[in-house]
Amino acid sequence: MSRVVYDGTPIEYDEGDTLAVAAVRNGMHPARGGTLCLAGDCGNCVAIVDGTPWVRTCQTDATPGAVVRRHPAGSHPSPGGPEHHVQVRVRHRRADHVVIGHGASGAAAAAVARANGDDVLVLDAGEGNEVVGVFDGPTIVVRTPDGIDQLHAHHITLATGAAEIHPVCPGNMLAGIYTPRAAAALQAAGIDLGRIATVGNELVAIHGESAVSAVELADGIVVECDTVIAALGSAPRDLLARMAPMVPVIVVGPAAAAHALPKCPQEGVVCPCGKITVEDLDGVWQKGFNELELVKRASLTGVGTCQGGVCMPHLRAFVAARSGTEPQPFTARPAARQLTLGEAAAGYHIDTFRRTPLHAEHVALGATLDKFGGWFRPWHYGDPVAEYWAVREAVSLGDVSTLGKMIVSGPDVVEALERLYPNYVHDIKVGRARYVINLTERGHIMDDGMILRDADDRFTLTFTSGGASTAEMWVRDWFETWGLKVHVLDRTVSHGAINVTGPLAGELLRRAGVDDDARPKFLQHRRLEVAGVPCHVMRLSFTGEASFELHHQIDRSAELWQALLHLGRPLGIRPHGLQALFGLRCEKGHIIVGQDTELDSSPRRVNMDWAVKLDKPEFVGRESLIRTAKLPDERRLFGFRMDGPAPLEGSVIRVNGDVVGHVTSSWDSPLFGHAVLMGWQKRAPHADVVEIDGREARVSEVPFYDPEGARARL
Amino acid sequence: MLVSEFTDHVPGWRIIATPVALDTAPWPAGAQVVRISPDDAYIMGSAEPTVPADPHAIITPELGFSSAVVHDVAALAEAHIEWSVPAHRPAVAQGQIAGVPAKLVLHADGTTQLLVACAARQELQERLA
Repeated sequence: MSRVVYDGTPIEYDEGDTLAVAAVRNGMHPARGGTLCLAGDCGNCVAIVDGTPWVRTCQTDATPGAVVRRHPAGSHPSPGGPEHHVQVRVRHRRADHVVIGHGASGAAAAAVARANGDDVLVLDAGEGNEVVGVFDGPTIVVRTPDGIDQLHAHHITLATGAAEIHPVCPGNMLAGIYTPRAAAALQAAGIDLGRIATVGNELVAIHGESAVSAVELADGIVVECDTVIAALGSAPRDLLARMAPMVPVIVVGPAAAAHALPKCPQEGVVCPCGKITVEDLDGVWQKGFNELELVKRASLTGVGTCQGGVCMPHLRAFVAARSGTEPQPFTARPAARQLTLGEAAAGYHIDTFRRTPLHAEHVALGATLDKFGGWFRPWHYGDPVAEYWAVREAVSLGDVSTLGKMIVSGPDVVEALERLYPNYVHDIKVGRARYVINLTERGHIMDDGMILRDADDRFTLTFTSGGASTAEMWVRDWFETWGLKVHVLDRTVSHGAINVTGPLAGELLRRAGVDDDARPKFLQHRRLEVAGVPCHVMRLSFTGEASFELHHQIDRSAELWQALLHLGRPLGIRPHGLQALFGLRCEKGHIIVGQDTELDSSPRRVNMDWAVKLDKPEFVGRESLIRTAKLPDERRLFGFRMDGPAPLEGSVIRVNGDVVGHVTSSWDSPLFGHAVLMGWQKRAPHADVVEIDGREARVSEVPFYDPEGARARL
Repeated sequence: MLVSEFTDHVPGWRIIATPVALDTAPWPAGAQVVRISPDDAYIMGSAEPTVPADPHAIITPELGFSSAVVHDVAALAEAHIEWSVPAHRPAVAQGQIAGVPAKLVLHADGTTQLLVACAARQELQERLA
């Protein structure tokens, strides 16, 4: 015989024993007490198996050396888990027809489906396939010894049979109580159950200290025994059919048959998973929770391990006796079987974080990378202050490949863009660019970027890194809604972009082969070769300094980056990361949509009415802006300056002790020697002096740096 | 290994044009056309294509894809694909593979090509490993 370890004690088991049967064979109860069904219907045998709690021991084969610990008496186990985390394998399978349950009705259903030519999969918990849940799709999630299966089926037949009803009476949490099928299985395994009392609805109480010693029947007779076999009928095992109301599940066999409810419970534990008693149910009923779903929610009956497998018939009988109406079973929720977090997560991935074509360059330069806007981006290269000064005083490179980039072309493109954007488009000349904000129909800012005219009927559009993923959908939806003839091509992941910025940016371009006369002036763009790489050169500025965005095919990104770093070495070049960039743009008062704006920020609230031309006949959000322009609106984004360290972004802004808003951007300016920040005041009158972190901050004109914009035009 | 090593920056062309114009385009000899959507074609292995029927067509080099050969489509699908892979060939199928947006090009000769944006190639590679 082999042995397993139960609560630190080695016990022997027979070939074919489950861990629950092994426990009973050795005179133990796997969970200290409660009726055992040995069919997976209840939670009365759950234990910690090899470090994983909540394992149904009746469904788990005994294997040599398995370590079982019973859950702590009267409390739940700690989450625990295996010492070594292992990746759980997921397997996607497909079938025309999945039959759950491999008894007589399941076998018959499978045979019929096969006869109809269907590809059929039959699942049975007894064969190692525990169905955890049925989801829309339909998708069936199955726990197997090898991992998790996700089955994608067209038809589902449920042939899970019927579960035996557990007794509810005083003493029903003692050890030594079995359903008839469980008792038969134990006896078949050669286990001596001692003196047996087989009882039905005449059962009144079960007596004993920790294990059964006697049963008391309705006629007052008390029968001494070691084992109680409670033959109380059965209830449909239809949990999975109640799990996904939108999924058509055919229920056959005993799972579909009518079953009489047990008599209304009078005393004892109704829900063994939660140790909820008839008295508890009475308590919530008297408080007015007089429907099945309400009793469930108020008492938490049916939300435990077995998801109502034990308590449902008794709960329905309880409600029926008090309301006079037999209630339908409540909705079931996944999971029908306990899962580890690893099993629940199997096959699911977090969002994809993309890498720019310069990722390896950043890594080689020792950058600290962060996940931002759906991309891995360099936060800094070790010295963000030096990176800042490189931009302000010399020249620097920034990887802006993450920006949204789009080509739009067609006979209706001007009209389409006029309708899309709140700024003028028709008067943008070929080779010129314009800053634009994107509005929702409600007139709220959802993104910003640039429009660059490539030809009479062709434009390049840019979007923020965070907004790029939805930009194409937004643009296409509107163009198609309007029925305009415009082609749209998203270039975000196909084009790299490097921002050359700083007072020596022009000099660096000259060294890279771009004559002074050739390079575009502010808000112009041209197609040029830079260091031998064909680029779409856009003259913009987010940092406040002269800036040239070099957009190019991504296969040339590393080559261009390396060449610029090499050529710029005598100029004191160094790349800058997001940390420096955010500070630089904060000094310029450039907002970051989503950071400095809120979901309902209008252009007026962020002082950007200048980017909206209400005299245009039509654009997305125009009607809302016209309507709301007539309404009072106290919310405003302000610039502030304060001495001492910059407060955390998100810090509360107070006026006279009252909260009026929060800090959206905050930066210890190396140039000014004090903090510059932006933040909201959401109440009028707006104060000139506010309190942040217990310190004084003063409203300041924005931009803080170079308000005339001369530096960007150098 | 479910797939071969990836090749980044597969040379190709991207064409956005009216569906009719794409249907009637005289693709260069040897062009391998992947129809991403009715108005969107990705062409590998050819010189610059033309689309005479649509003067506003966007035709631009496309180097944003990474490509690998799928050794065992069934095994890849079983492990990493929730959607149904087409049973017929040739076909183009698109959706998430191991949670990463990607495309499967099922060639008539029985080979299968996996295309993924270069930006997501490393992520996909790690998830398939």
